[in-house]
Amino acid sequence: MKKDIEQTLKESIARQKMLAVEEISLDSSLEELGVTSLDAISLVFDIEDQYGVEVPNEELKKLRTVRDIVEGVDQLLTAQA
Amino acid sequence: MKPVAITGLGCISALGNNIADNWAALARGASAIEPLSGFEETGLKVATAAQVRNYSPEAHFPPAQLGLLDRHSQFALVAAREAVKNAGLEAADLAASAAIIGTGCGGKETDEITYQKLYQEQKPRVHPFTIPRGMPSAASSQVSMELGIRGPCFTLSSACASSNHAVAQAALMIRSGMVEVAIAGGADAPFTYGLLKSWEALRVLSPDTCRPFSADRRGLVLGEGAGIVVLESLDHARRRGAAIHALVSGIGMSADACHITDPSREGAARAMQAALDDAALPPEDVAYINAHGTATQQNDPSETAAIREVFGDHADKLLVSSTKSMHGHALGAAGAIELIATVLSLAEGVIPPTANFTAPGENCNLDYTPNEPVERKYEHALSNSFAFGGLNAVLAVSRFAQ
Repeated sequence: MKKDIEQTLKESIARQKMLAVEEISLDSSLEELGVTSLDAISLVFDIEDQYGVEVPNEELKKLRTVRDIVEGVDQLLTAQA
Repeated sequence: MKPVAITGLGCISALGNNIADNWAALARGASAIEPLSGFEETGLKVATAAQVRNYSPEAHFPPAQLGLLDRHSQFALVAAREAVKNAGLEAADLAASAAIIGTGCGGKETDEITYQKLYQEQKPRVHPFTIPRGMPSAASSQVSMELGIRGPCFTLSSACASSNHAVAQAALMIRSGMVEVAIAGGADAPFTYGLLKSWEALRVLSPDTCRPFSADRRGLVLGEGAGIVVLESLDHARRRGAAIHALVSGIGMSADACHITDPSREGAARAMQAALDDAALPPEDVAYINAHGTATQQNDPSETAAIREVFGDHADKLLVSSTKSMHGHALGAAGAIELIATVLSLAEGVIPPTANFTAPGENCNLDYTPNEPVERKYEHALSNSFAFGGLNAVLAVSRFAQ
């Protein structure tokens, strides 16, 4: 599941920032990728929509890297299951 | 008072996606009204439309930008890019300039997608871009961001007179000395299911085509697009050696203070008179009027009577036309598209006709330039916009002797 989320997220970022998926790693910082706060909200929206989860506002503020988002969504899904 | 020059033109409408294509169609009287597309099997009674065709958003915008662009913002950007290029403006000129964009509908496309997801599809969440993409001022912000315009910048809304009011506001800023350069015009994209149903409900849409001032006219045909002009103080334009298409010589604005949909002869006449007074133009000096000419039952005789009231005997010598017969009624973009038609008419010495004209309607007794363009070299013209709710704005356009 985590792999799926990671792939979905990387593809979303790649599309949004016009990068190649390979340029994005789990430890890439969102800031370095040029992901602004509005971009991050939109990325999270795509994932929420696809996986049927809801990322709380407080969690959103803590996201710094691609891994933060993947881990966060995975935890939400585990909690739901 | 500082004279205001028009130095750049940009346009996207059903007639074409640039100035050259728009003018080529206008100058031969070719109507772009066709069967409505994109709403098959919706049960809409709206049958015809003047929609922008052969337009692919992806060809104009990268995906990351496109996600934030409502269709009307896209049109505003396409026209603004062309106008700025046409004017040959440098980044430094743009940085100090103003941008005033009119819109009647704003981001309705975005709102309707959102409402469909919420109310129809029962989705639990809407896209986070809904606000920044759909806000009525989005197009002004996008134009400001892309072109690096850092002066006064805002959206103005007065229904079908929005872009004439925007051009008027921008020209007044230049006259006052507040700015030397302004980008002004309007954009609208009203082809959404909800808006079409709403126009349908008002019973002003023609079931076939748009025949302004004709006896068998049956109403307006909706259009879409954007018109943007670059305005500059004449001094500024001359200093940088810009080509001057024409001058905005007069501005006339009025309100009917009367009715939310019915036009008023008196209000329209006051706006035209105010434009003539502002330009210090005797009525006899005007050769052409690009009429509001919606082809509704109410507008056409009312506008005709207003022209007669202002121009007296000279009314019989005027050439009048409604180019809405060709590009449809583009609402908040209409005034700017028609201003551009008027500027090019003056520059090229060709009066674009009223297309689809059959026989004059009752109390429609002017020369409406029926169906065939007329070659005529002239010096001064008016471009009329009279909005629902009685908000009127008329622009006088004059040749600049280089």
